[in-house]
Amino acid sequence: MCFLFMFCRNNTRSVINREGMTATDRLKQTNHPAFMRKFSFLLSLAFLQTGLSHFVHAQYNPMSIPDTLSGKVFNLNIRDTFQQIVAGNQTITGGINGSFWGPTLIFRKGDSVHMNVHNFLNDSTTLHWHGMHLPAVMDGGPHQVLPPGALWQPYWKVTNNAGTYWYHPHLHEMTEAQIIKGIGGLIIVRDAIEDALALPRRYGVDDIPLVLTDRKFDALNQFQIAPYGDTMMVNGTVRPEYTIPAQVVRLRILDGATERSYNIGFSDNRTFYVITSDDGLLDKPVPLTRYLLSPGERIELLVNCNGQSGTSVNLVAYNAALTPQIAGGESFPTGLFANALGHKDFNMLHLNIGPVSSPAVTAIPAALTVNTFPAASAAAVTRTINITDSAGAPGAGPLAFLLNHKLFDINYINYTVPLNNTEIWELASTSTFAHPFHIHDVAFNILSINGAAPPAEQAGWKDVVLVKANQTVRFIARFEDYADAIHPFMYHCHIALHEDGGMMGQFVVNNTSSIDPASLPAKGYTLYPNPAGDHIYLKAQDGSSQVYYISVIDMAGRTLMMLPRPELSAGIDISCLPPGTYIMQITDEKTKAKTNATFFKN
Amino acid sequence: MKRYCTAILSLLLMASFRTEPKRIVMLGKEAPAFSLTATDGRIVQLHDFDSAKGLIVVFTCNHCPFARLYTDRFNALADRYTPLKVPLIAINPMDSLLYETETLEGMRVFAASMQYHFSYLQDRTQQVAAAFHATHTPQVFVLWRENSKWIIRYQGAIDNNGQHPELAAPFVAQAVDALLRGDTIAQPERLSLGCEINYRK
Repeated sequence: MCFLFMFCRNNTRSVINREGMTATDRLKQTNHPAFMRKFSFLLSLAFLQTGLSHFVHAQYNPMSIPDTLSGKVFNLNIRDTFQQIVAGNQTITGGINGSFWGPTLIFRKGDSVHMNVHNFLNDSTTLHWHGMHLPAVMDGGPHQVLPPGALWQPYWKVTNNAGTYWYHPHLHEMTEAQIIKGIGGLIIVRDAIEDALALPRRYGVDDIPLVLTDRKFDALNQFQIAPYGDTMMVNGTVRPEYTIPAQVVRLRILDGATERSYNIGFSDNRTFYVITSDDGLLDKPVPLTRYLLSPGERIELLVNCNGQSGTSVNLVAYNAALTPQIAGGESFPTGLFANALGHKDFNMLHLNIGPVSSPAVTAIPAALTVNTFPAASAAAVTRTINITDSAGAPGAGPLAFLLNHKLFDINYINYTVPLNNTEIWELASTSTFAHPFHIHDVAFNILSINGAAPPAEQAGWKDVVLVKANQTVRFIARFEDYADAIHPFMYHCHIALHEDGGMMGQFVVNNTSSIDPASLPAKGYTLYPNPAGDHIYLKAQDGSSQVYYISVIDMAGRTLMMLPRPELSAGIDISCLPPGTYIMQITDEKTKAKTNATFFKN
Repeated sequence: MKRYCTAILSLLLMASFRTEPKRIVMLGKEAPAFSLTATDGRIVQLHDFDSAKGLIVVFTCNHCPFARLYTDRFNALADRYTPLKVPLIAINPMDSLLYETETLEGMRVFAASMQYHFSYLQDRTQQVAAAFHATHTPQVFVLWRENSKWIIRYQGAIDNNGQHPELAAPFVAQAVDALLRGDTIAQPERLSLGCEINYRK
């Protein structure tokens, strides 16, 4: 019965180093007994929580901190599972390597990272690396569908700046349901520039990940697939509390909700300092008392807790201040959008300020980095995306939300962007509702919002921008490095209901200097040895051929392995396959022609 | 106002997105007959049980983490009610094309490791589960022998706490006890939850 728990051999290569410790391990390393005792106490309560369902009645629950994975090989197993979230019966959830949400992946800029994504769900899914600059075939958008049981092995060189990113399902029309289940995780990128700054970076101690979501529970404690929840959760914890040290603390915040924006502030209205926009450091910290964070968006902020040991403060969503055009600013008594948190201020997280934890960062840095953005004059083209309420477009109802008056069509490429183009995208909204617009592949710099320069906290690199009703937002981006005539990148509203409803488009980045594929004949491949052991090798009859994609399919028709642009020099690791006969479908890089070869695994 | 219209539209859109299986109440209906292969190789049919008072039919599978919480409870129900002429059988409706672990061989290994005291049958074509309109694993149907027919008298969850049986209200046991007493079941349908049964198109 080995296949009950089968793993490819390369699934065991994950490096659990210092950053691979659990939050508990990390806290055990702190040198402050009082601090440690307090955390140990809280953490032991956290463990008891799963065993004692009455505990979730407490005023606050210890906030869960996702485990971390680091190194260069990352094993992510997506499963249907369950979690004790509220008192009573458990909630059916989706998890990655756990029972709700997934591990925080820690990447270093410049590393090549290899992912082993195994889909054990009862349904197809995809996993999109939100904010990562990578080849479209590795991007995990709606075209990289991972059937149940399949292993997908994308890899790429991390070129993103240090910052907070995330990964989540992107299966068209199923994104909302799969995100609500809890499938997703954070990505932290580190680089030399960020390393050199005096910033808090001890994960779970003075560098705290906060994934903001809300959920609606039915009478049986199950998640309802609804745009808004009645219950706020941070890192999957309801009514969370956490203890932070009395020094400068960094909060990495993701709006992981499917619809709601959170107008973030502290209960004492203290100033906090925003240090990143979605895709890296700002030039210098921006002091604010509120930040409106929308779905898909991330910020990192510093909060100064020097000398405040023994006090507490709440992180609050000041959503009563939001107008009804912002998701979360409306208040509906009944219907699909009815929820207990609409147009209201509510606590998100209770922060206890404990003792100092050394080495402590005690000052907010004056400067962070020097960003250089492309000049508007460098743009080869300006593309205008009209954001509208549907106005009766074909196939849409009377009031869906649309991009350029069209519903998403997975078989239609909306734009072809020449490789290395610098482009201005103008998002011109006549919609009555605010939409967080997200683009894959690139980070952009906002040139203007209704003709004016963006506020300082949004003047860095971003990949999500909230386009409010009747606003025009212009951004500039360079489409570098990765051309692919087949696999497109997406752009869409990050409100999952809107995206699933067709508020999405796609573009390919095309290398215009490449050879016309039609002029190239399809080439054959030989597999050896055959029968094979744990590795099988591929030889192209034309030595210059490159492989674009390999799928391994068993005789029952199941796709078991999906290998975009596989690295072939060391052979293909097939140790996860049970003995039997398989078909390898090989797609040629230049011609995109598919060749089938049969092999036998011993 | 516009948002209200959007809400209505979105509801329509949502309806088309949902892949949740439709819940169909089978209470009072005659149970579909079946003839399926058990892990010991025998063919087991509904009518093999015609001399019993009732039959507890559990739809479950090997891989589902929530269903796996219940394996001891299946054994306990079988132990308690088989002597009272209400035996228990389990049927695996999962698509073994989707899940290699759900083949008959996988079931044999799983049943042995869980020391199942009852027949564990494979619904390879999913036709039996479809006829019962089963939606999740684990999900129970309590059949009662009335006027030489098998009538469905309870459907749904085993109880209301997967991880903590000691805190749970034992719905199936309460239903069978009521039927044995000749009483009606207070709430003959309870929503089941667990892993969705993905029916092959």
